[in-house]
Amino acid sequence: MTGPGISWYVALSGALFGIGALGVLLRRSPLIVLLSLEIMLNAANLTLIAFARHHGGADGQIFALAVMAVAASEVVVGLGLIVAIARGRLELDVDKLNFLKG
Amino acid sequence: MTAGAWICLLSPLAGCLAITLAGGRISRRTAGIVATLSVFVAFAGALVSFAALAGKDAEERAQLSTAWTWLSAGGFDVGLSLLVDPLAAVMMLIVSGVGGLIVWYSIGYMAGDEEERRYFAYMAFFVFSMLLLVQAGNFLLLLVGWGLVGLASYLLIGFWHERPQAVAAAKKAFVMNVVGDATMALAFFVLIQQTGTLDFAGAFAGAEGLSSTTVNLVALGLLGGAVAKSAQLPLHTWLPDAMEGPTPVSALIHAATMVTAGVYLIVRAHPVFELAPDVQDLAAGLGAATLLAAGLVALVQTDIKRVIAYSTMSQIGYMFLGAGLGAYGGGMFHLMTHAFFKALLFMGAGLVIHHLAGEQDMRRMGGLRKAMPRTSLAFLVGSLALVGIPPLSGFWSKDAILASALASGGYGRVLFVAGLAGAFLTGLYTFRMLFLVFWGEPSGLVAEHADGHGHGEGPRSMTVPVGILTVLAAVGGLLEVPGLWHVFGDWLHPVAEPLVEPSTGQDYLTSVLAVSLGLAGIWVAWLVYAARRRTVPHAPFLRRLLEHKLYFDELYDALFYRPAVGLARFWRGAVEQPLIDGSIAGVALGAREAGAAVGRAQTGFLRSYVLAIAVSAAILLVVFVSVK
Amino acid sequence: MASFLVWAVWLIAAGACLGSGVAVVLSTNPFYSALALIGNLGSLAALFLLASAEFLAAAQVLVSAGAVMVMFLFVIAYLGGRAAAPRRGGPTWTQVGAVAAALVLLAEIVVVTALQAGGRLAASATIERSFGSPGEIGSLFLTDHLLAFEITSIVLLVAAVGGIVLALGETTETDG
Repeated sequence: MTGPGISWYVALSGALFGIGALGVLLRRSPLIVLLSLEIMLNAANLTLIAFARHHGGADGQIFALAVMAVAASEVVVGLGLIVAIARGRLELDVDKLNFLKG
Repeated sequence: MTAGAWICLLSPLAGCLAITLAGGRISRRTAGIVATLSVFVAFAGALVSFAALAGKDAEERAQLSTAWTWLSAGGFDVGLSLLVDPLAAVMMLIVSGVGGLIVWYSIGYMAGDEEERRYFAYMAFFVFSMLLLVQAGNFLLLLVGWGLVGLASYLLIGFWHERPQAVAAAKKAFVMNVVGDATMALAFFVLIQQTGTLDFAGAFAGAEGLSSTTVNLVALGLLGGAVAKSAQLPLHTWLPDAMEGPTPVSALIHAATMVTAGVYLIVRAHPVFELAPDVQDLAAGLGAATLLAAGLVALVQTDIKRVIAYSTMSQIGYMFLGAGLGAYGGGMFHLMTHAFFKALLFMGAGLVIHHLAGEQDMRRMGGLRKAMPRTSLAFLVGSLALVGIPPLSGFWSKDAILASALASGGYGRVLFVAGLAGAFLTGLYTFRMLFLVFWGEPSGLVAEHADGHGHGEGPRSMTVPVGILTVLAAVGGLLEVPGLWHVFGDWLHPVAEPLVEPSTGQDYLTSVLAVSLGLAGIWVAWLVYAARRRTVPHAPFLRRLLEHKLYFDELYDALFYRPAVGLARFWRGAVEQPLIDGSIAGVALGAREAGAAVGRAQTGFLRSYVLAIAVSAAILLVVFVSVK
Repeated sequence: MASFLVWAVWLIAAGACLGSGVAVVLSTNPFYSALALIGNLGSLAALFLLASAEFLAAAQVLVSAGAVMVMFLFVIAYLGGRAAAPRRGGPTWTQVGAVAAALVLLAEIVVVTALQAGGRLAASATIERSFGSPGEIGSLFLTDHLLAFEITSIVLLVAAVGGIVLALGETTETDG
């Protein structure tokens, strides 16, 4: 079909990935970090689907579906952790949550 | 026929194993009974072997029985083989017979000791080792037995291991024995290299073709081992210290059997020694020197066991003298009679010590004749046998040696004079001991213990063996009466043909001289110690020399001990601590430092972790792209 | 004409995607970040449709934009004011390193595509109408990729159990 070729999709997904990485590295709230992580995962999904379309095999889409399921599970656990931290009256700041030091 | 020999050898080992494995489950007395029975079974086996041997013709009396080939390297084979011949049979009977009596005696002597079971296991082990030594069919097995008796001696001298003197004495004995073991091993190496075998027959046959230097070296090595094991000059300092062990141990190991192993070795290896006559002369000379030195030092000892120890040293000197001059029959005969009367003397001393609750200093004793009449009679018999008063056993055997010395030419005559001087000394120190302990008025200590604690002079397990040995010491010498019959000499003849045969005239002359000198010694002792009509002459230099045992201990301390300790300290400071300890500690320290350094990466800081992941991902991408 | 339409839709969707992504990262109010992410997911769904992945587009909207984001919104509502955290702060080295790393990653990906584009990325394959349809996806899941299917279900189960444990564990702690 006519439209942007595979390289456009890959470039877009690369940019999205970079934006998500910046979010993970620069933000201090664990919640925003999780959101940025979602962006990164979805960028990868886009690449998978683009290549599936390019090669004509739907295996990429299967992979992308699995990634979606795993991303959902990861968000469940991550949010559970955040809620637990909040209940423990700790500050929701990744710089201050350094109890694994040493 | 050799079943008897195998039973003889293995029965004490089985006894030792039984006691060890039963551990605390059997009573202490049972351990003693097991040990005693195992040694008496060995004696029965020895009797069977002896009887079987006696039933054969003189030429066929050498049975070699090999269990399996123990060691096979190149052309060199060594089998686990036992040799039963007249010499071995004599030793087997002495070791198991006298040994059995002494182990039986130990049941009474060691009763009440906390670790009796360990004691009896060790005693059974010792009897096994000694039997292995005398029954070995080749030099290697003999060396095994040699080493094992050294081990048993160490274990038993240091039996009361809470006493530091006992531990030190055990170490001293072991170290000096090892020096002898080393020289023997070197001799065996030479034999293997030159003759290719260590079997007795093969080695002796091969030795005839060797150069005189080689044979001298081999003989010297064997002599070194004999000197160390038998506590002759110069490797003698361990024997008096070994008296730290229990008295039955002193009786068995350091009087009757182990210390006589040196004499057995010389007689067994006499073909080698005969090919090295200089070494044989050296052996005889060392024996003579030892008998004089030991006799002199015994004159100033105050501990009853030490007197008997020096006496043992002196009597083995006689045996070396005999074996060195080629009077093998005489030397072995004296070995047998000595086993009887010396064990008797030790056991009598043990009865005294037991009666006086552990006192061993003769100056605190006196007048025990009244409190312990039977012991003093046994002691008297033993002492007379030791001095060589006829018709007791020591007379026949000692004079056999001295007569052979007289018949051996110039060098032999010198040794003969030394032996006669030794006879005088023997009478003097032996009866000094007897008079100090048993004669006169009872001392304070003796009066305290006069009631005998309710059981007379000792339990029956102690008095019966003493009684048996008294009889043996009295009549055991009648196996060889010059001019009438030579049962012992003839028995040993096929194995060890004597090099000299004294004439009847020489025999009588020797006997007269030796007995007179012995009686003279007894008379002087009577004058000084019993009748108190003379006092000991005041000779401070001589007294100091003898009290310090001729300064041998001090000499060895300066020559060997201090340099070794100094060298060890130097190496520890210069090499071991900085280099070896330092490097090990350095490795540990380095690992810890490295761990701490790497640990600093664990910041607990989430964003640094994520950054690390991102950076690594970037690097990996570059790698994948470029490597593709 | 069709080609132009496709290009237009694609560019709008891509722009929305990037813009909402930036909004997620830069926004101080977490509620706005979450809403921006919903937008992001929506635009991605549009892009999926353009790449003939209809089933996945639907799944994206239903699962990610629907269930997952709603969960996020619930948690943000629960946390209230505590959800907000300063946008920047922390050591400068992290910031510099972060920007550098992100730029490097972006550059690499662009480079990779540029390099590869010369070779086999020129022509895309021809596909049937059933490509990306639920039927096709379903049959692939149950034949070629059965193991992935089963394992994914287990992962979901574990996550569900984990979530409940985290929730209940807190309750017993605060009560006891």
